[in-house]
Amino acid sequence: MLIEMNDVSKTYVLGDVKVPALRAINLKIEDNEYVAIMGPSGSGKSTLMNIMGCLDTPTTGTYYLGRKDIGSLNDNQLSDIRNTRIGFVFQTFNLLPRSTTLHNVELPLIYSGMPSFKRKQLAMDVLERVGLSDRIMHKSNELSGGERQRVAIARALVNKPSLILADEPTGNLDSKTGEEIIEIMQRLYEQGNTIILITHEEYIAKHTNRIIRLRDGVIESDEKKI
Amino acid sequence: MIILENILMALQSLKTNPLRSVLTLTGIAVGIGAVLYVVILGNITRQSINERLESLGSNVLLIRPSYSHMRGVRTATNVINLKWDDAKEIETTSDVIIAIIPRYTGQGAAEFKDQNWSTRITGTTPEYETVNNVHPIEGRFFSEDELNRRARVCLLGATVHEKLFGNRSPIGETIIINSKRFTVIGLLGAKGESWHNPDDVIFIPLTTAQERLYGVDYLSSILAQMRSADDYDESLFDIETILRRNHRLRPDEDNDFRVRRQDLFLSAVQETNQEIANFIIIIALVSLIVGGIGIANVMLVTVTERTREIGLRRAVGAKKFHILTQFLVEAVILGIIGGILGTVGCMGFNYFFTDNGLSIPLNWVGYSFIICSGIGSIAGLYPAIQAANKNVIDALRYE
Repeated sequence: MLIEMNDVSKTYVLGDVKVPALRAINLKIEDNEYVAIMGPSGSGKSTLMNIMGCLDTPTTGTYYLGRKDIGSLNDNQLSDIRNTRIGFVFQTFNLLPRSTTLHNVELPLIYSGMPSFKRKQLAMDVLERVGLSDRIMHKSNELSGGERQRVAIARALVNKPSLILADEPTGNLDSKTGEEIIEIMQRLYEQGNTIILITHEEYIAKHTNRIIRLRDGVIESDEKKI
Repeated sequence: MIILENILMALQSLKTNPLRSVLTLTGIAVGIGAVLYVVILGNITRQSINERLESLGSNVLLIRPSYSHMRGVRTATNVINLKWDDAKEIETTSDVIIAIIPRYTGQGAAEFKDQNWSTRITGTTPEYETVNNVHPIEGRFFSEDELNRRARVCLLGATVHEKLFGNRSPIGETIIINSKRFTVIGLLGAKGESWHNPDDVIFIPLTTAQERLYGVDYLSSILAQMRSADDYDESLFDIETILRRNHRLRPDEDNDFRVRRQDLFLSAVQETNQEIANFIIIIALVSLIVGGIGIANVMLVTVTERTREIGLRRAVGAKKFHILTQFLVEAVILGIIGGILGTVGCMGFNYFFTDNGLSIPLNWVGYSFIICSGIGSIAGLYPAIQAANKNVIDALRYE
């Protein structure tokens, strides 16, 4: 069991008003699943992803990632978990614009304290896997959108995470480049990675083997492909 | 390890906005440059005063006439009461005073061919050479015999020599001082700048000055060399006793002369100089603080601009500590580069635009390094804390 959520709720306090974003979510995700989370905006899918990604902790309920109770961790421990167990792919790529491809990819390893030569080697390996070996010294603002997202994917892979979280990874790409990214995701899944994908495109969700639909902070449906 | 990464990242981020970085550095650079320059000037002044102190020796007293007072009221503008006989009597009577140098100093116009120069004329005795360590670099000092004969011989200070002769040797030439002909027998070496130019002077025998040039029988000052600096109290007592008796001062009258230890006087000058230097340094430090505020301001802007970057770094595993040090290191580097520029600029200014040479004291280079990194870290602390405490989720989605 990779992810286990028991009655996870998240409530934001805006002034005097309490806004519930997630209500008593119960969810289990195994290793090497390929999951799409869908739902209209405001349905709580971003909040769910933030909690899964250890960027945020639940207000009530428990969240186990691996065997770790995430709710009991402090800020530094959460940073460590994100550093070693989670790879993020964002809709807006979130690369350091004036840094090279190589530096962007090795960034998580800098914070885990890995020596430089080892870092560079691992970063080159994952860049090869996403087909960017010839772009390692390019600044990321010199790359096309598709290339940028591949750099971001390489960055998410470089720490060999147990979980890859992709938040609308094709949202800022044209459909052809979007397809390429989805193909890479598919391949990563086939290589044994666990991928959770947030999207509102049905055709992208179709590539996954489990679709969780959220509405108003609760799970509306949870379909597994057989 | 992470610090090295931070330094590289900081240099890179400073490079991405070069104009802003340079403008920020300028404040610090100007401040530290000003501090260093004041320090250099202070050192030079101290050096020249120390040289004077050495040439005077710590055992020389200066006796000058002063206005006589009775119960605090000035009774006469009495500057003609100090006589050569006073000096001779002090020398022969006192056990602790081993040499006496009477001086008369007046203004004079010196002429050589078509050149003329207005300067100080000091009449004195041959002992002046040894007591005051004033040895001619060319020629000789005048002799006892010449003093007795009221000989018309003179020694030129470096400034007078340059004004009248340029580079030529003046020895044996005849110059005219206040319409009287004098033979130049010696040339004195340059002593350098002080609060008044010690090289702008002509030395002649005291008798010649008193009788031939100025027609006076009094002295403008007496230098008294003590056996050692420890004999100060006894020397003072002897001088006062003799002078008060010779000048027929009643017990209720104040001294009509003043006795000053040359070294103490110069120390006082030095202290004043140091106080002025300290004051200017404080002003320069204020400009450093302004530079620090500039750094703080730019760092705040940088932190806001790079909110998304901070979010991303936190998302991939940076701890608050990492973000804090990243921005702190950046601010410190700004300070240090500013300090280096200021130091180099100050050295350059000193080297190319002044005669002081490359004389930045090394310990001050060290201090400026510490001051600049200190200002950088203080200025960067608040922005860095702000950066570290940003909410990760908000920072990631910041537009």
